[in-house]
Amino acid sequence: MTYLFGRGAARAWPYGLVLPGLLLYLVFALLPSLATVVYSLTDTNGLTPAPLNFIGLANYQEFLFRGAAAGENLEALMRTVLFCFLVTTIQFVVGLLAALLLNQKLVGTRWFRALFFLPVILGVTIQGLVWRLFLYPLDGPVDSVLELFGVESELLGGSGLGAFLWVTVVQIWSNMGITMVIFLAGLQTIPDELHEAARIDGASRRQSFWNVTWPLLTPAVTTNLILSIIGSLQAWQLFLVLINYRPGTQVLGYVVYAQAFGQTSGSTTSNSFRQGYGAAAAVVLFVVVFIVGVTAQYLLRRREERLLG
Amino acid sequence: MNPAMTADPLAATAETARTRRRRRLDWTTVASYALLLVLAVIYVGPMLMLVNTALKTTPEFAKDPVALTATFSIENFAEAWDKADFPRYLVNTVMYAAIATTVYLAAAFPLSVAIARRFVRGWNWLYLLFVIALFLPIALIPQFQLILNLHLYNTQVGYILLFLTNPIGVLILVGYIRTIPRELDEAAALEGSGYLRYLVRIVLPLTKPALATVAILHAIGVWNELVLANIYLTNQAYFPITRGLIVFTGIYGNDWPLLSAAVLMLAAPMVVLYLFLQRYIIGGFTAGSLRG
Repeated sequence: MTYLFGRGAARAWPYGLVLPGLLLYLVFALLPSLATVVYSLTDTNGLTPAPLNFIGLANYQEFLFRGAAAGENLEALMRTVLFCFLVTTIQFVVGLLAALLLNQKLVGTRWFRALFFLPVILGVTIQGLVWRLFLYPLDGPVDSVLELFGVESELLGGSGLGAFLWVTVVQIWSNMGITMVIFLAGLQTIPDELHEAARIDGASRRQSFWNVTWPLLTPAVTTNLILSIIGSLQAWQLFLVLINYRPGTQVLGYVVYAQAFGQTSGSTTSNSFRQGYGAAAAVVLFVVVFIVGVTAQYLLRRREERLLG
Repeated sequence: MNPAMTADPLAATAETARTRRRRRLDWTTVASYALLLVLAVIYVGPMLMLVNTALKTTPEFAKDPVALTATFSIENFAEAWDKADFPRYLVNTVMYAAIATTVYLAAAFPLSVAIARRFVRGWNWLYLLFVIALFLPIALIPQFQLILNLHLYNTQVGYILLFLTNPIGVLILVGYIRTIPRELDEAAALEGSGYLRYLVRIVLPLTKPALATVAILHAIGVWNELVLANIYLTNQAYFPITRGLIVFTGIYGNDWPLLSAAVLMLAAPMVVLYLFLQRYIIGGFTAGSLRG
């Protein structure tokens, strides 16, 4: 496109006005993000500024191979992938179901939508505290219901796996609203006439869904899956609010934070503020996000081409 | 009923099909409401528990956490308000959100216009720079070293500096500005408008809905931030409400009625705002998500 607002010096205006936004982004987001790789090769430690001291791949070697902590790290990695899988699939199904229900002409759909989306805007602190209360282990609501079925559970205070699964539940509860509104936006782009036409051709509701709604929902499906996959691989804040740092529950994102900012406890080597080591953990997480994210992106694009031509 | 209609065999089958569907529709309606109610219980339950607990006395809660409050003790709210520094936390949070959002938008708006209108060379590379942000490694550690080296650790300025970027906001703005007709640019140029005047007088007013959406999205992000507040702020006078709440939880960890009152008070402004701005907020989460 041509620039219409003068020549010569006047041509510099857009360039000059791009600079503040670009510089802020580079200095405070993009370059720090890339510099994580640099820091992962150093033994940067603690709260005092000091010149970088490069130690090669020692952080990676320690993170992946040395002692009991390495075993815990690998478990955290597996747990991260499990968390991502559970959150993405369940949130997808529930979000789609909620959107389909609310896309009908029913009474009160606006209120239901508002309710299901509410946790999203409350943020992790309130989401976490509300559920810590709801999961109160001494005859709290969930505990009482479980007792009705004869289940004894310590909920968030219980075994590693149990506590981990409860965080998964809260994560889905908190973010299902996003999945839902994206599906709703997608559903609203599908003209009613198409369903009408399918019906006249004698299609059942199920056939109408799989042959009309589902293919036309493709962009929303892609967006939701990519957002959930990448978001849940990097999510860990609810672990912080709900159960704190406890071996047997943590995911990679939490390991990064805990190591780099001295929040560790338990059997993990707990030098506070191990920034270089934490950076190595961040790079490992990035590799996971990259591999899973790019694979998902590739598969979803192929699917889009197949369905939408 | 019109006899000519029923005589027509095609119309007759359509008629029976319609009544059959109406009956089946009733059934699906019932099932839909049932499912919605189940979901609603899962969403309302935790929130009702919070409200109910906030209205109980501590012994009342200890005796039976689930039972409905009999005392309606409002003292919890006054007590929580007294024991914590909530007014200060609130002022801090509002200040962080307001300043960060204003500066961010002031920088992001001209940037987005230049990308959307291709006014700068390499606009497509610039755009890509913001697209890849989703995948990049966590910037937490180098960012911390940067703020440390700027001697801005545990300062309010340093904290605000962390919130002056938001790549998704730029993508939303670019997408929106692209839909503004080019003819308006030409009209402005014909009138001899300069670039600044064009930005402020022509594009800005037309971009308002998208700017509002991005502003709300960004402000919510700052408002709810907990991790960065944990990392960067040690002076209690600088705490935003998220960090304040967590500290409060640490001190009064088992006094759930008191805690619930605190959580409710700090959630209330967000809920009220949400009810008013729902359209923009939900718009923000779907904007730019369905490129097709």
